[in-house]
Amino acid sequence: MTDPDIGSLETEMNRGFLHILVLALLEKDMYGYAMVKHIEALGYKVEENTLYPLLRRLEKNGWIASKWDLTEDRPRKFYAIAAAGRVLRASLLEVWTNQNRILDEIIKENTNV
Amino acid sequence: MSNKLEAYLEEIGHFLSDRAEREEILSEIRSHILEMAAAEHGETGDAALDKVIAAHGPARKVAEKYLDGRPIIAPAYRRYLFRYTTLLFAFHTFLTIIAIVFKKDFVIFPIVFMPRLGVIEALMYLPTAFLADLGFVTLVLYFITQTGKDVKLPWPKFAVDINEVKPPARAFWAGRIATAVGAVLMLAVTDLALYLFAKHHTIFFVNMNWSDPRPLFTPEAGRRLSMIVIAMFAASTFALLIKLFTRSRWVDVVSNIISLTLIGLLLRQPFDNLFAAEIADRFLPKIRFGLKFVLLFIALMITIDLVKNLVLIGRRKLAKST
Repeated sequence: MTDPDIGSLETEMNRGFLHILVLALLEKDMYGYAMVKHIEALGYKVEENTLYPLLRRLEKNGWIASKWDLTEDRPRKFYAIAAAGRVLRASLLEVWTNQNRILDEIIKENTNV
Repeated sequence: MSNKLEAYLEEIGHFLSDRAEREEILSEIRSHILEMAAAEHGETGDAALDKVIAAHGPARKVAEKYLDGRPIIAPAYRRYLFRYTTLLFAFHTFLTIIAIVFKKDFVIFPIVFMPRLGVIEALMYLPTAFLADLGFVTLVLYFITQTGKDVKLPWPKFAVDINEVKPPARAFWAGRIATAVGAVLMLAVTDLALYLFAKHHTIFFVNMNWSDPRPLFTPEAGRRLSMIVIAMFAASTFALLIKLFTRSRWVDVVSNIISLTLIGLLLRQPFDNLFAAEIADRFLPKIRFGLKFVLLFIALMITIDLVKNLVLIGRRKLAKST
């Protein structure tokens, strides 16, 4: 049997989680670097090269919107969740909650065996 | 603005395919790098930017994250690349043989252009034809993939699926012994042919009376045809001997190509004044047709084997690279 490759499996798991995470985070307007630092402060790490392409895909699908702020020294691109994004977020959270419940029940069953 | 940052962004832009999005993506990355340099190094000078750029990663890797992951050919259609290329190339090769024999051009736009060819030109032409066939099939499958539709591609049920061509499950030594027996037999046949040729300048006879043999062909034709056939025997013998030491399909490919060349040479031999033995004129066209038919049939069989070997080599290389 081969050793489990946690790295690639974690990447697979992160893919879905990052969607919910970003949609949850963008309830208030944020720019990319601030999102990276905020997530890092919460004990999770997201690479900027993963975050920005994800933000583009979410925006292309109309789930978030962006606008450039040119008032500061450095231009910043702020992102915010759109109405369609809120609907999607609710559905994804429901899926995630259900998955958590199922896993919890199975773990409880296993500990009782 | 730092030259290094601009050079880095330009390099990323080089790998991005969508021109419309490129500037926006590069602006995002520029903004992020400057933000990070200011926050983590307290300035946006060259030294700080160098560190941030190094941490951001190689330009190609960064660009790839933005590229659409759609493959050039969808996985479901990949096996058709080899199937259709095999069919098209077999057809192409067959037309090449026809073009050599009948000295004619063929055009089936845009799939096949077959100029009038000699044997040597055909050998130069066939690898190009293979690449063109592969490219054509790739292009068709690319367009099908890009449509995103579920297209069910046809494949005749009666045809041999190259995916299912598996080597016979023989023991290692059984395979080697069969090859060795074949090599010994071919060596004997080649030696006999060389002996007859050295003694009588031909290997084709009408009778089996070795004290007074009567050649089938006129001396010059008999000598040429004998040399070509002996070369075919020798090529097969060498291939079998080499296959005692290696199972590489390239040996079969080279052997197939040599055999096809020699058959091409046979087909180009003049038919007039060929026979030394007396043959009624009314039979000559039938004999001519029969000989050509047999040689073309053998050429077709060798071509199919050649294409099968090339495809199996290609599949193996693809399997190794993925």
